[in-house]
Amino acid sequence: MADVKVKVQPPDADPVEIENRIIELCHQFPHGITDQVIQNEMPHIEAQQRAVAINRLLSMGQLDLLRSNTGLLYRIKDSQNAGKMKGSDNQEKLVYQIIEDAGNKGIWSRDIRYKSNLPLTEINKILKNLESKKLIKAVKSVAVSSFLFPSPKCALYMFCSEYVSRSYCSSSYASSYAFEHLYVKTQCRVLFIIGEETVIFLAQNCYFRRLLNFTEEGGKALWTFYCLKTLQKVELSMEDIETILNTLIYDGKVEMTIIAAKEGTVGSVDGHMKLYRAVNPIIPPTGLVRAPCGLCPVFDDCHEGGEISPSNCIYMTEWLEF
Amino acid sequence: MTQAEIKLCSLLLQEHFGEIVEKIGVHLIRTGSQPLRVIAHDTGTSLDQVKKALCVLIQHNLVIYQVHKRGVVEYEAQCSRVLRMLRYPRYIYTAKTLYSDTGELIVEELLLNGKMTMSAVVKKVADRLTETMEDGKTMDYAEVSNTFMRLADTHFVQRCPWVPATENSDPGPLPPAPILVISEKDMYLVPKLSLIGKGKRRRSSDEDATGEPKAKRSKHSTDNKEPIPDDGIYWQANLDRFHQHFRDQAIVSAVANRMDQFTFQTQTSSEIVRTMLRMSEITTPSAAPFTQPLSSNEIFRSLPVGYNISKQVLDQYLTLLADDPLEFVGKSGDSGGGMYVINLHKALGSLATATLESVVQERFGSRCARIFRLVLQKKHLEQKQVEDFAMIPAKEAKDMLYKMLSGNFISLQEIPKTPDHAPSRTFYLYTVNILSAARMLLHRCYKSIANLIERRQFETKENKRLLEKSQRVEAIIASMQATGAEEAQLQEIEEMITAPERQQLETLKRNVNKLDASEIQVDETIFLLESYIESTMKRQ
Repeated sequence: MADVKVKVQPPDADPVEIENRIIELCHQFPHGITDQVIQNEMPHIEAQQRAVAINRLLSMGQLDLLRSNTGLLYRIKDSQNAGKMKGSDNQEKLVYQIIEDAGNKGIWSRDIRYKSNLPLTEINKILKNLESKKLIKAVKSVAVSSFLFPSPKCALYMFCSEYVSRSYCSSSYASSYAFEHLYVKTQCRVLFIIGEETVIFLAQNCYFRRLLNFTEEGGKALWTFYCLKTLQKVELSMEDIETILNTLIYDGKVEMTIIAAKEGTVGSVDGHMKLYRAVNPIIPPTGLVRAPCGLCPVFDDCHEGGEISPSNCIYMTEWLEF
Repeated sequence: MTQAEIKLCSLLLQEHFGEIVEKIGVHLIRTGSQPLRVIAHDTGTSLDQVKKALCVLIQHNLVIYQVHKRGVVEYEAQCSRVLRMLRYPRYIYTAKTLYSDTGELIVEELLLNGKMTMSAVVKKVADRLTETMEDGKTMDYAEVSNTFMRLADTHFVQRCPWVPATENSDPGPLPPAPILVISEKDMYLVPKLSLIGKGKRRRSSDEDATGEPKAKRSKHSTDNKEPIPDDGIYWQANLDRFHQHFRDQAIVSAVANRMDQFTFQTQTSSEIVRTMLRMSEITTPSAAPFTQPLSSNEIFRSLPVGYNISKQVLDQYLTLLADDPLEFVGKSGDSGGGMYVINLHKALGSLATATLESVVQERFGSRCARIFRLVLQKKHLEQKQVEDFAMIPAKEAKDMLYKMLSGNFISLQEIPKTPDHAPSRTFYLYTVNILSAARMLLHRCYKSIANLIERRQFETKENKRLLEKSQRVEAIIASMQATGAEEAQLQEIEEMITAPERQQLETLKRNVNKLDASEIQVDETIFLLESYIESTMKRQ
């Protein structure tokens, strides 16, 4: 009988068992575990078996492989996402990863191509697939579609479950896309209403600067006020507040002045500060609109002796009965 | 003259002066300057009637005459002056607020009669005032003369141009039409009249017939034959001065609306602006774009008595007014504690713009008003930019822009990229031209007032029978009261008008008043727009 090397098969050598152990470990350390940690946990498993188990988990898409300073990290993947990516091949995963990395701002399809080195046709196919699975979506960016050449081909792709950042918080976005359309629109509207009331509230109750009532609340202070008052999950920047205040200016309810301010005071940008205050209109509704003729839709057809004439004007009759 | 203006003038002339004057007046407005014979020929009226009509029109300053070459006298109607007749109630009301009942009646008499001598005005006004006073009291001529002189001092009434007295009585043929001149300094010079007397109460003739002795009655008649001391010196109402006053009122109320919302002291900024305007009343001509510079010290001294704010506070307010985005008040220098002017042209522009905005808001909605203000501020905008700045969805924004475009509030400016102006390669920018929008709105105002007047006349005509009946009943009651009838008989007569008829009369009265008031309100809009257009045209 030759000497047969018997290797003691250690217990728990079942590959599935190993994988489960690894997954448990990953759950314990959600930030990721190194190879070392696994080794420590299961010293009886050989390196090869470990590698097999890890590879299997990676290919199944349950583990993420990351590189860190100390070496390789394994992290548990989001189970939700893991389910999603079933059936997608590596290329799709790659593209999806790239888009995810771009975060809130989204990424141009051109940039996806550069980053993944895939040909254009492939990219387009993949993007269509991902879109149909509702994992990503295309957004027409406000900032980019300039008034010179609005190009429908230059669509932005964005990670779906992230909240939309302000740059897309515009009219075209709000009306053209179903997903988050209601959310963004309500958001804007809520801000708007709150903005109006806040501004008027502030202007009426604030301390007086010099003698009259210019509010000290520049954009920044209003911003803090909003974030306290509303239950927003999205933080709006100064520019958002300024856009909303501008709409209030166009409504004639608020006016703005710019004063010189020292650098460093709250809300000052480039040595000047914008101040807002609520105002009343300078004239009451003018005389013409108090007569029925001022608002009449058939004004141009009205003449004496015709079908529509002052003598038989129904608007006038109604108005006289008030 | 646009059709709407001519229509309105014709309605006004008819209402105030009758058919014949209306025919002549409208003909003159339509065709411009015409000599007498041509007018008679074209309108088909007899020469006599044309002369009388022209007399009436000239007396009321609605028609002027000029001598052309070859000795032809041509008559020209002044359409804008005819349209001022709408504003008579406002002038009279202003005089009432400034100079109480006496002033009101003086201005009313002058407006209704066109031109009058001072003594005639004083006498008439005193008589009218005496009637409204209690029994036994009369109005003294001196008081009325005082008010008249104050009106002349503040330039609310002015002398009419007169024929200069020629030193050498020219034996040659008289010119076909007198040439009237007036010098600036004489315009407000009140003649030294010693008007002594008291207002006479017009008593009903029946009571007096037996009482008055014959001697007194003959004295009355001789009084009328005495020569009037100021014959030939005629006075008229100075409409420009009233317009200046209205303009000042509008500016002060605009400042009050904008600045005096939350201050503890009531209406300080508007008071300061009112003081500044009052100080510039006489010194600044009405068409100037800026008032004369006023120093802060002067303003402090001229503030109304009892308005005690310290000099420092006044200075602060003036600085605030000068820094305000409205730009009504500007600082023009630093001498005398700071020299300040009121920017009249800018103020009128802001008021006209506010009128336009208000019309857009009431007619199309507040979102349209937002777009309108946005385009006003940014001057030229593309459609996409409009949507972005106003935060309104694209479809609605487009719809609103087109609505305003078809209403002529907004206009389109094309900027082609290629010489062939292809639409796909052209920029289309939306813009607001305030002057043309103001003109469009003015035209609409004229037509609206014409509509209101027509409706009023229609309502009156509808109920003509009822009105006549009620008038007859009133006459009967009055005569019966004079002859001393019993209560029962009076009651019986009154019941001739049934209750529903009475209600109909009430409704008619209410409607007519409403339409009248509405005409005056639309006239306010007309005033703002016309002032702005005039001021802009003068600057160009």
